[in-house]
Amino acid sequence: MHLHKYERIWLIFGISSLVLFLVVLGVGAFYKGTQPPSHLATVDPTKVEEHEAFREENLGLRKVGENDYIVSVIASAFNYNFGKDDEGNTIRKIEIPVGSNVLFQATTTDVIHGFQLAGTNVNMMVEPGYINSLKTTFKKTGTYTLICNEYCGTGHHLMAFEVEVIDNE
Amino acid sequence: MSNSIAQNRSFGAAMWDYLTTVDHKKIGIMYLVAGGFFFLLGGLEAMAIRWQLIKPENDFVSAGFYNELITMHGTTMIFLAAMPLIFALMNAVVPLQIGARDVAFPFLNSLGFWLFLFGGILLNCSWFLGGAPDAGWTAYAPLSTISPGEGVDFYVLGLQISGAGTLIGGINFLVTIVNMRAPGMTYMRMPLFTWTAFITSTLILFAFPALTVGLFLMMFDRLFGSGFFDASMGGNSVIWEHLFWIFGHPEVYILILPAFGVFSDVFSTFSKKRLFGYTAMVFATVLIGFLGFMVWAHHMFTVGLGPAANSIFAVATMAIAVPTGIKIFNWLFTLWGGNIKINSAMLWALGFIPSFTLGGMTGVMLAAASADYQYHDSYFVVAHFHYVIVGGVVFGIFSGLHYWWPKMFGRILDETLGKITFWTFFVGFHLTFFIQHFLGLMGMPRRYWVYLEDQGLDFGNLISTIGAFFMAIGAIVFLYNVVITSIKGEKAGADPWDGRTLEWSIPSPPPHYNFTQTPLVRGLDPLWIEKSEGRKGMTPAEPLSDIHMPNGSILPFVMSLGLFIAGFGFIYQKYDLAWLSLVFIGMGILLGSMLIRSLKDDLGYHIHKEDLEKEARK
Repeated sequence: MHLHKYERIWLIFGISSLVLFLVVLGVGAFYKGTQPPSHLATVDPTKVEEHEAFREENLGLRKVGENDYIVSVIASAFNYNFGKDDEGNTIRKIEIPVGSNVLFQATTTDVIHGFQLAGTNVNMMVEPGYINSLKTTFKKTGTYTLICNEYCGTGHHLMAFEVEVIDNE
Repeated sequence: MSNSIAQNRSFGAAMWDYLTTVDHKKIGIMYLVAGGFFFLLGGLEAMAIRWQLIKPENDFVSAGFYNELITMHGTTMIFLAAMPLIFALMNAVVPLQIGARDVAFPFLNSLGFWLFLFGGILLNCSWFLGGAPDAGWTAYAPLSTISPGEGVDFYVLGLQISGAGTLIGGINFLVTIVNMRAPGMTYMRMPLFTWTAFITSTLILFAFPALTVGLFLMMFDRLFGSGFFDASMGGNSVIWEHLFWIFGHPEVYILILPAFGVFSDVFSTFSKKRLFGYTAMVFATVLIGFLGFMVWAHHMFTVGLGPAANSIFAVATMAIAVPTGIKIFNWLFTLWGGNIKINSAMLWALGFIPSFTLGGMTGVMLAAASADYQYHDSYFVVAHFHYVIVGGVVFGIFSGLHYWWPKMFGRILDETLGKITFWTFFVGFHLTFFIQHFLGLMGMPRRYWVYLEDQGLDFGNLISTIGAFFMAIGAIVFLYNVVITSIKGEKAGADPWDGRTLEWSIPSPPPHYNFTQTPLVRGLDPLWIEKSEGRKGMTPAEPLSDIHMPNGSILPFVMSLGLFIAGFGFIYQKYDLAWLSLVFIGMGILLGSMLIRSLKDDLGYHIHKEDLEKEARK
């Protein structure tokens, strides 16, 4: 088969650059163990409850310091699981003192869910296999609605929860 | 003349002509008809969505059906309406603007069209076969991989087939513009619409493979039990989002750049001025195309990629506002001091500037990653992308249709009806989408079937729905305009707008070989140069001689039909392997057609010099 000289040079250049990129990629992935930059915290979506942060007693609002709180939530279609209160009832609403620092951490057991506190900066995509987290400080009192903004199926519009920010006293 | 022959032909012969045609002008018309049909279908879905949201806790449609509607509205509008309509304009105009007799690969051009059409039909067959896809037009895994039924399978196979058609079309236009330009038509003398078609084709070439890969992975996840997106099997759902948006963001530039090209041509024609800052316009177009590939993760700010990734993508996104701003100012400077004529084409272009600028401004707001945490997946985003896609792409398509209708069909669209269309659509558009910014800021998320009353959302949604009806009326008036124009519209001459570019130097509609003699191009706006020097038309670059033309072929239609049949086989084999027979039949038809095409020499035919002379004397 006759190939024009320029055509041959171009083909050799194309193929060798392809090989070069693949080698670079391969060395990075298999020898150096590089992963795409992504969430640092992962979790097995089939065993979420076994993870430290999402054990039954750790779900919902937890006070961890003078003015620091952690809120751990498991999202699933079509519900946010904030755990149970002392009497064993499902928690429907949490209260957070104004001005406190809150760390939200959430994961999902099925599809992607949203985690948006309307009117605040709290807005996360909750991906299966990952723990997404976000720190915030509530400066205003009031009732905030937690809604799912990541389309998750027929009950998408039913997924909601209430967060009340109350005065310290 | 060919016209009288056309009138005497039977319907069957005309049908066969269109099924087998490889003429870029007829393929353009077919893209227009098919794209127009899907545009109406998508519009109907939009009306159903707005009717559902007209009041709180409405039950016009069920939650499941609503989800099918939102999914199909987005998918149809992007893949089956906007893109084909852009291709309609590109097919009708680009070869004429560069002085070519056809595209580089007429056979592939036809194949691209039929693949798109059969892909679109396959996708819409899902309505009648157990339900349309319901995972959103973005089809985020794992919701899409676990969605029951065959809806999402139709999405995957339908888009795969029509995507192949688009890719073929893009490559075809790239080669056409590189190779088929008339003598003297250097790159920096090409009309802006051709330039944007060129850059758009480049974007298609690089962006669509990402979609193809994503759809293949999803196809294997859904139909053959793999787990690319299944976290419990070691997969990763974030990969789909990356693949989808690496395609999806360039896709919006694929749509908007040709619209920019339309406006550039319309502004300079109806201002009777050379386009201001031609070189800057070209470089801005190239730059937008280049930067368009580096911003995809701004759709994923809240995934948690980390502050470093978010900042890089935020900065890259904001950078795109710079070349876009250059364009907006160049259009304004083109108008400045021009001898402006306001007609329907110009109205759409003038309406575009404030509408698109609003969309661009909310785009910069969304690009700020920290601010995006308040907007992500709320109606604010819905308002933003409708402002750029409707206010940019749809306005551009309407403007281009009014501008080139005489060239495509030989008749001028009715001006009065055109103005009614514009004003109803323009008012309806702002009524529908402006209020959605505020609905979003108040916390209304996307893709909600119902909302509760007394949350401040009732009135805004009512206004939005009323606006949608204005847009529907505008679209209906346009359809009426098309019908009435084709019956008794004013016949157009070769150059009804006192145009500047090559397409206006030949009759409307052009003969099937476009240019009797290839024109000699002596600068930007070649026809204008000749006219300003007192000549009637272009100076030919070659003596009158035989013209080589390609033969028509039914094979592209048959090949696409083969893939269409195989598509059903791929979907239903998950229930019963007997369905694999359809895959073999379909692929057999495809491969058999390819074999025929490869083995049978088709050298085309020649139009003889004597016939051309006879034609010219008439």
